[in-house]
Amino acid sequence: MEENINRRIRKVLIEKMLSEVDPAEIKDDTPLIELGVGADSVATLELLVALESEFKISIDEEDINQNLLENIDSIAEYIGKRL
Amino acid sequence: MKVVPDLLRHSAKAYSEGIAVVDGQKRITYGTLLSMVQDLSSFLVSKGVGHGDRVAILLPNSLEFITSFFSVLEIGAISVPLNTAYRETELKYYISNSSPRIILTEEALKPMAEKSADKTGASVAVIRGAITDYSYCNHGVSRKTKYAVIPDDEAIYLYSTGSTGNPKCVARTHLNLIALAENHTQTVGWTEDDRILFVVPLLHTYALGNFISGIKVGATLYVLSSFNRNRVIDLIEGEAITIFPAVPFMLDVLAKTYLPKPRDFSSLKLVISAGSPLSKEVFYRYHEKFGIYPRQLYGSTETGVIAINLSKDVEVNFDSVGRPVKNVEVKIVGTDGSVVGAGEEGEIAVKSRSMVSGYKNLPRETMSVFRDGYYYTGDLGTMDREGCIRIVGRQKMFINISGNKVNPREVENQISGHSKVKEVVVFGVSDSEGNEVVKAVIVPKGDLTAKEIYEFCRGKIANFKIPSKIAFRQTIPRGPTGKVAIELLK
Repeated sequence: MEENINRRIRKVLIEKMLSEVDPAEIKDDTPLIELGVGADSVATLELLVALESEFKISIDEEDINQNLLENIDSIAEYIGKRL
Repeated sequence: MKVVPDLLRHSAKAYSEGIAVVDGQKRITYGTLLSMVQDLSSFLVSKGVGHGDRVAILLPNSLEFITSFFSVLEIGAISVPLNTAYRETELKYYISNSSPRIILTEEALKPMAEKSADKTGASVAVIRGAITDYSYCNHGVSRKTKYAVIPDDEAIYLYSTGSTGNPKCVARTHLNLIALAENHTQTVGWTEDDRILFVVPLLHTYALGNFISGIKVGATLYVLSSFNRNRVIDLIEGEAITIFPAVPFMLDVLAKTYLPKPRDFSSLKLVISAGSPLSKEVFYRYHEKFGIYPRQLYGSTETGVIAINLSKDVEVNFDSVGRPVKNVEVKIVGTDGSVVGAGEEGEIAVKSRSMVSGYKNLPRETMSVFRDGYYYTGDLGTMDREGCIRIVGRQKMFINISGNKVNPREVENQISGHSKVKEVVVFGVSDSEGNEVVKAVIVPKGDLTAKEIYEFCRGKIANFKIPSKIAFRQTIPRGPTGKVAIELLK
């Protein structure tokens, strides 16, 4: 289950934000800030709507902070609680 | 109505019990709003603010922003609204340029306001938050309600961002703002029954025009301090919002936001898109979810609202910013200076009582774009036989981040201050959703990571200016004249 969530998050990240990054570099514990994720509010909101669409859940932007967006594992933990 | 305070006084008389502002749980009538404005005016006078003095307003969209704006203008002083996303260095520029006597701010921004105002002579007053220097009817100053203000008095300083030099001060007079409100309201036909949702920052020229127009007609203004999709959706449905000024990025993410249950957005009668071009995809996607097509509006800091697309055939000409609003003249000028024919491309020039006559204290910059009573926008466009304008290009090379203008040179200057940066080029690129984002290409000295650059920029420039894409190269490609080959870096 958790592995499946991580795989789907990775897919969203690659499709929406990290198409220029080698997928092999995006591991579950890779610090996403180094890849630009969460650096600006525009890109962050785009990620949220893509995750909402993928998992059919509502995400409140007030829940989003640097810790939550630290890596794929931390995003998966948040989403797992809402499924 | 001759000066801006007349707009509020008129609505307070005509719609005294009507709701003027809704900010969270606070619902303020027009009668109370006028009283709050007069009270804050008295506080400002007690702090030494007088006619012609500048008052900086460092506040997000809020009831306090609105009371500050009107109270400053009430006493003949000049509002200088500042973006709350700005950091100390950026704020110092605007404070130094406008020399405010006082900065009105909120509790959370007080430390930064104080640091930014250090050694400038400006004091800081907190008027929003748990611990404030001012609270309504509780500051022991007697109230005066009549001040001498004339139409030619300066009312507000806005700043125009370009690709070269520092932001230029645009000093709008009371006459300019009254004309702006008249031009806009005569065109869009709003009434006291309208409910207008403000998520776009009130300090931007786009929101400012809609904001004072809303006050002029006695409409109810809903203010949100930041863009939160679910709050916007709840407000549109729960409060039956009729007017929603937005930027394309907001419309895009709202259209894509997952809604677990059907929602009723049938109250919306005008959704406005401005700040950057509206794509066909967003135009249709928004309509699919909200049942209404967004209408493009065109304006500038120098002129206020120029045109809006209120066409009945908006599906056919969604890409047009529409016809000029009432009392605004637009001409499309060719390279030889003559007006071009219908459908031909040229520079858009504007003439209106709502526009300023030049940049403050910048005669050379003024002469280059204010000529023969017109403001030359630098935008390239066409006008068809029906008078509908289309923007086809912009000459000013700033980056547009969901309505916020970013000067790439400013970001380059910031990044090049890092000891491990040998060379840097900053420009705008489209992300996978078609939105413009800031990209930096850096030639490093030794080992350097993107994380180090993010940490170096954070807190020094506004977050929306920090590049979301960073790439490293060994050299920057250049053309034969030495110009950076941006296309090879995108």
